[in-house]
Amino acid sequence: MRLLAVTVSLGAALLVMTTAPSYAAGGDAIFKKSCSNCHYTDGPAKEKTIADQLAKKGPELWYAGSKFKKDWLTAWLQAPKPIRPMKYNSITDKNPGDHPKMSAGDAAAVTDFLMGLKSAEVKAGVIKAEVSVRGRKIFTKDMPCGGCHEYSTKDGLLGGKSGPSLAGSSKRLNPDWIYAYLANIKVFKPVRDMPDFGSVLGPKDIENVAAFVATFE
Amino acid sequence: MSRFVLVTTMALGLALSAAGSAQAADTKQLFEFYCAQCHGVKGDGKGINVGKDFATDPRNFTDSVEMAKRTDDDIKTVIKDGGPAISKSPLMPPWGATLSAAQVDELLAYIRKFAKK
Repeated sequence: MRLLAVTVSLGAALLVMTTAPSYAAGGDAIFKKSCSNCHYTDGPAKEKTIADQLAKKGPELWYAGSKFKKDWLTAWLQAPKPIRPMKYNSITDKNPGDHPKMSAGDAAAVTDFLMGLKSAEVKAGVIKAEVSVRGRKIFTKDMPCGGCHEYSTKDGLLGGKSGPSLAGSSKRLNPDWIYAYLANIKVFKPVRDMPDFGSVLGPKDIENVAAFVATFE
Repeated sequence: MSRFVLVTTMALGLALSAAGSAQAADTKQLFEFYCAQCHGVKGDGKGINVGKDFATDPRNFTDSVEMAKRTDDDIKTVIKDGGPAISKSPLMPPWGATLSAAQVDELLAYIRKFAKK
């Protein structure tokens, strides 16, 4: 009799677990279960050494709400396409394009969670996407970002492959975050294979580059 | 007494050698993290970023003739301040705010070895 009772209640518990709709869970819970193996969200930045950076399986997301545009994030989580030409932390292996997909409900919930993760370093409403002549000159000639980053032109994709692609950044990235990242990169990524351009470009030049990067289709 | 000196010397030698190989591993990691995406893991200038629109050929560190034309100061300057600091391409960016002086020295020694292999 006792065995029967245990079996029935176990069965009922299993039924509840399997039939509970995933969108009922908060985005933070879904993230913890599905994403936290590769991405951390509790900032500030934890990496202190190259080994710390190389141990990461995916980008840190503790400032995701300052970095990404909400609509892009919801769509990308449902149909992820590689942003980095190369596998994360590799300069020899191509990105396998195997980022897990989410249902529309889970993607909306996780987007709400991630968009709540803001960095105080990012001042809102300062940078507007603009094909700035000065920004373009710095980007293409003076400090050629295309050495490491793909970007879109009327002639197609140009640029290097070691960094994340900047093609589509007009839809993906918050222009104010681009500025903050260039101006004070150490706050976001203390260990990274991108130079500290905040130490060599003035604020006005960084504004121009950020505005230009924010235009890529 | 002489046995004590021998053992101490051997222990010291082992410790120094372990420290030396740890240092070598660290410098290899430095090079592969910051430099190899353009200069190649083998130092031959054929990194993953060097595609059809890459406007210059990254320095091939295995080319002993070309490398002999560069002084140690040139190499340290270009690492810290970027290509234009020695009238070369801005595709070589400035790493002075990222790397310590000691790391620049380690990279210089590592880069020099490619032409001696």
